[in-house]
Amino acid sequence: MSAVSMEALTKVYATGVKALDVLDLQVAHGEFAVLVGPSGCGKTTALRMVAGLEDITSGTLRLGGRVVNGVSPRQRDVAMVFQNYALYPHLTVARNIGFSLENKKIPRAERDERVRAAASVLGLADLLGRKPGQLSGGQRQRVAMGRAIVREPAVFLMDEPLSNLDAKLRVQMRAEILRVHRRVGATTLYVTHDQTEAMTMGDRVAVLRSGRLEQYGTPRDLYDAPASLFVASFIGSPAMNLYEAALEGAADQCVVVLGSQRLTLAPAGAERSGLGAYRGRKVIVGIRPEHFAAPGIEPAAGASLTVDVRLVEPLGNEQLVHFTIDAAQAREDPAEGTDPVAEGEIMAATAANGVAVTGPRVPVRAGSRVTFGVDLEQLYFFDPDTREAIETGR
Amino acid sequence: MTASSLASPGDTAGAPESRRQRRKRERLEEQAAAIPVHLYGLRRGTVTVITVACVLFAIFTLIPVVWIVINSTKSQTGIFTSFAFWFSRPFQFFHNFALLFQNVDGNGTYFQWFGNTVLYAALGGGGATALAGFAGYGFARFRFRGSKAYFYVIVGALLVPIAAITLPLYLVYAKAHLINSIWGMILPSLVSPVGVYLMRTYVDLSVPRELIDAARIDGAGEARIFFRVALPLMVPGLMTVLLLSVVAVWNNYFLPLIIFSKNTLYPLTVGIGVWSQVAERSGGNSDLYPLVVMGGLVTIVPMIALFLVLQRYWRGGMLLGSIAN
Repeated sequence: MSAVSMEALTKVYATGVKALDVLDLQVAHGEFAVLVGPSGCGKTTALRMVAGLEDITSGTLRLGGRVVNGVSPRQRDVAMVFQNYALYPHLTVARNIGFSLENKKIPRAERDERVRAAASVLGLADLLGRKPGQLSGGQRQRVAMGRAIVREPAVFLMDEPLSNLDAKLRVQMRAEILRVHRRVGATTLYVTHDQTEAMTMGDRVAVLRSGRLEQYGTPRDLYDAPASLFVASFIGSPAMNLYEAALEGAADQCVVVLGSQRLTLAPAGAERSGLGAYRGRKVIVGIRPEHFAAPGIEPAAGASLTVDVRLVEPLGNEQLVHFTIDAAQAREDPAEGTDPVAEGEIMAATAANGVAVTGPRVPVRAGSRVTFGVDLEQLYFFDPDTREAIETGR
Repeated sequence: MTASSLASPGDTAGAPESRRQRRKRERLEEQAAAIPVHLYGLRRGTVTVITVACVLFAIFTLIPVVWIVINSTKSQTGIFTSFAFWFSRPFQFFHNFALLFQNVDGNGTYFQWFGNTVLYAALGGGGATALAGFAGYGFARFRFRGSKAYFYVIVGALLVPIAAITLPLYLVYAKAHLINSIWGMILPSLVSPVGVYLMRTYVDLSVPRELIDAARIDGAGEARIFFRVALPLMVPGLMTVLLLSVVAVWNNYFLPLIIFSKNTLYPLTVGIGVWSQVAERSGGNSDLYPLVVMGGLVTIVPMIALFLVLQRYWRGGMLLGSIAN
């Protein structure tokens, strides 16, 4: 039995906008599940439906096995951390945290005890007498967390809780939330648009797009085996390089034709996988930026790409090499491709952009032409029509 | 990293400041936030013209107040014979003031009228504020069948001048036995269209939906959400509505004039009006003029006091810290 079970959950607003389209998602007890996707993908709507703040157009929502479609928020035993904290500005930190306990008419002594316990977990013990206006952003964030954990709810809901913090504090609070999660052990549903947050925090991550579930799996799964072009382009930073290519070759050989260049795949690998069926057809090939080998090392024949370097960004521990390559860029969004003008542009484009990650001291200069080795074992292939991944048996 | 190290003094907002320190800081911040006049892009001459116009208008509005203050110190003859904008002997301020609260005309006193006015203003203005608070919150934060229609009907009442409905109101009152009843004065004062409109807008801006959502998830019922979460945030708006509606009832002349025929039910406006008429009819022989002037002065003092008391609510920062922007 799952802690949270969404079965064919659908939300259509009065305006006719379909925010959520038959979402199926199970979150196990104690699991930290992340809903991630671009803005407008329906992730917050899904969370608000679990909270009981939006009604459900169709489908079934179960919390701990109990159908809660028509149950009011206060009877769902869920706690929520809001994007902008939503603290009660006229109440002290202690009363903010204890408000839900007051509502449950829990005796004062026990209430104080539990508020103190929650506050000490979050390092708020010295601030209990302050009002939210006297707190810093990070402290307010912790008060919002405290308000949730003091209730010991069945499910935690978090709606982009870190998006209002500066970058440094965000990294710090990420660890903090995970620490609290491990300590409290409650099932958590966490919404974010930030793939880094999703990857670093989630036990499992659900990638949503236009109200539909693209993929639900561990961060490793999403990264190593993206189920669709969208997931491939969304997960990972810098994003995967995606190009249109043709698959050629006879018998046990498979050659990826990328613009004027060719990558020759190992014969066995191609046959083992579903790739053989695409021989003679167009595919979309994906190369992660970290799967380019530093230039200078002599690459094997048919396992290198020559590119024009446009910009080099040194990050200290590594550097990002932005380049253009003689190939057609593949768009992750098919909607862009259906536009005839855009389609024409893609076809006409002779150069596509890309990024490679290299070691910090690899001597690459902007404006030069370099040849990168490519890890052929790590290529991703997608069907250009269905936008789904082609099984490569990797 | 331990929890306590995360709450290090580095990211605290500093020690709580005293009320006086906060006021001073807020005043300085307000000054700093305003754009200096010379940066408005106005020519120096334009600024001077505008300033002069404003000063003239201020004098124009203040003249009656100055007049009433000066003349409240005069005797009946003093009012008619001395220069209107300067003091004259004998100085009768305290004599006039004492006289005001004695039963000078035998059939109803200033004191009684004052009490009536306070009663009408408190019940009518207070009630109007409470209703505006409920209605404004309801219109701003709940969606229900016909909510827009109701709202427009209430706001539409703003367009109807009170004089236009006086006659029908009187006829209804006659049937409902509300003539010469204090409820005849209080009931129509209870609905303040301006108040409802103001409160709806105020709630929209100052009570975030997330806060209500958070309270719902925290297990609070709707009544509790209103009284514990929304109401404290609505206080500055409610104080504005309270001031407006109390002043409206306090200064109401027309309604009490038509519904009250008993001297003991009059509010100050009608009472002083009656004195003024008596004084005029007697052609300056009744010695009532100093009382009309002093009565007018005493009538406006409570409203000025109310304004001074309530103005401390008109400050921003109520929502500070609730919602990150």
